[in-house]
Amino acid sequence: MSESGLPCVEGLFSAEDGVATLHGSKCTGCNTPYFPRSEACHNPDCTGSNIVDFDFGGSGTLWSYSVADFPPPPPHKFDKPFAPYAIGVVDMECGLRLIGQMVDKAEDVKVDAKVELVIDTLYHEDDVAYSSWKFKQI
Amino acid sequence: MQEVAVIGVGMHRFGKTGDDIVGTKSVGSLCRTAVDAALKDAGVNWKQIQAVAAASSRFSGGKGWGLNGNDVVEDLGSTGIPVYNMSAGCAAGGNAFNVGYSMVAGGVYDMMLVVGGEVMPKGMIQTSGVEEATDPEFLRQRCIGMPGPSFWSTLARRRMFEYGTTEEQFSQVAVKARKCSVHNPMARFQKEITVEDVMNSPYVSNPLRLFQICPVSNGAAAAIICSKEYAKKFTSKPITVASSTVATMTFNDMLPRGLADPMTECANLHTEAQNAVANAFEKSGIGPGDVSFTELQDNTCYYELAFPEEWGLCEAGESESLLMAGETTPTGRMPINPSGGFVSFGEATTAMGVFQIAELTWQLRGQAGGRQVPDAKVGLAQTLGLGGNATAAILKR
Repeated sequence: MSESGLPCVEGLFSAEDGVATLHGSKCTGCNTPYFPRSEACHNPDCTGSNIVDFDFGGSGTLWSYSVADFPPPPPHKFDKPFAPYAIGVVDMECGLRLIGQMVDKAEDVKVDAKVELVIDTLYHEDDVAYSSWKFKQI
Repeated sequence: MQEVAVIGVGMHRFGKTGDDIVGTKSVGSLCRTAVDAALKDAGVNWKQIQAVAAASSRFSGGKGWGLNGNDVVEDLGSTGIPVYNMSAGCAAGGNAFNVGYSMVAGGVYDMMLVVGGEVMPKGMIQTSGVEEATDPEFLRQRCIGMPGPSFWSTLARRRMFEYGTTEEQFSQVAVKARKCSVHNPMARFQKEITVEDVMNSPYVSNPLRLFQICPVSNGAAAAIICSKEYAKKFTSKPITVASSTVATMTFNDMLPRGLADPMTECANLHTEAQNAVANAFEKSGIGPGDVSFTELQDNTCYYELAFPEEWGLCEAGESESLLMAGETTPTGRMPINPSGGFVSFGEATTAMGVFQIAELTWQLRGQAGGRQVPDAKVGLAQTLGLGGNATAAILKR
């Protein structure tokens, strides 16, 4: 984490000792992970639907990415002047295909690259840094 | 079940707030024009309409935009008929058509109006504006910032990675679409463009450029449907609804709609669309090989390449070569979006499913002028809405 601050949305993730942890859930019946937490299992072949908390982090492979060349409309928040950023779709080792901003510059991002989860600043408001999870190419 | 027919269609030309086409017209005014045209086309008067299936976007509430079918009825004359307001994002028009179809097929009503229309807020489509952590769309925009174009761009980039699709090929889809739109008096854009024009338009979300993405538009479309038996009173050449379906995505889908999606062995990214189209084929007994032309939801040119493959209209990885050989033009082997598509119309969200029904009807009647698919016998239409829902319809003459 580049600076101390607050998460952009409470309860979704945390960063301790520099390690990014996302707080999801998992069905113990069929082992399906969810993020954010799901209250029920979405697998129609799973009769258990026994959901427990599931924390994950770690690394994955970049399935694809795009670039936000224009500022997205609210409720997105960003520091001005707007700087284009890359958005990654990552196949995580924990079994989730997860979306997040990339820390890397758009021109450096490559499909199929190995990436890891980090927590990084998303925007500032009233001198407070608000953070989110992002991907960083390894 | 009774057979259902389309006997009249109408549209208000699509445009942008403030332009010469739609100016400052309200959604009610746009819908009235479309409905009047559909009634006239059908030879039906307003009082003969027994119920309305309206594509509604009022779920986006609080922003002062969106269609409420009740208002359309008031404007046309408060006859007290039932209105079903269907809210399904970009699939709302297709949903409304399916509800109308199902009720007529089931014998609940003899004749119904299906209508969709929109006056869209400027810029990229926004979420509800309610900051609620249980709303996956809010989370995606706050935590990441990934509006529609960036979502589509990840799909386009993946296709480039898997199939070697080039930016010029995405551009060629737009060029082909605009060439059709020249002959469509209802399209917002009616001028031809070149590959250079598209490649010179700015990236909205790399790798997709401005002319490869549909903008938001204002517009409206309407269709009058009735039982095939009842249709005989009005026309000797009704267009038959071979099937109309609604579907949602299945668990094994691999495209995250929110923040993340569990990974499975399934390669399909749009199971809702695939399910809707597959069900439409199954219910009608019509196969991909019987389809004369397709109107699919091309929010971006990417979909024109991916969808035909996912539905079995062509082989996986074949779309680019068909495109470059001109086979997706109205006179080709696999015509896609002879109307000019969303890329030429812009998206007036709830109108789109009904806009497709209008185009299918005109094509099947042989009234499509310079964009006519020769001897069109069977048309396939498809919409896709936020949150994993989709619709399909197959019409035949």
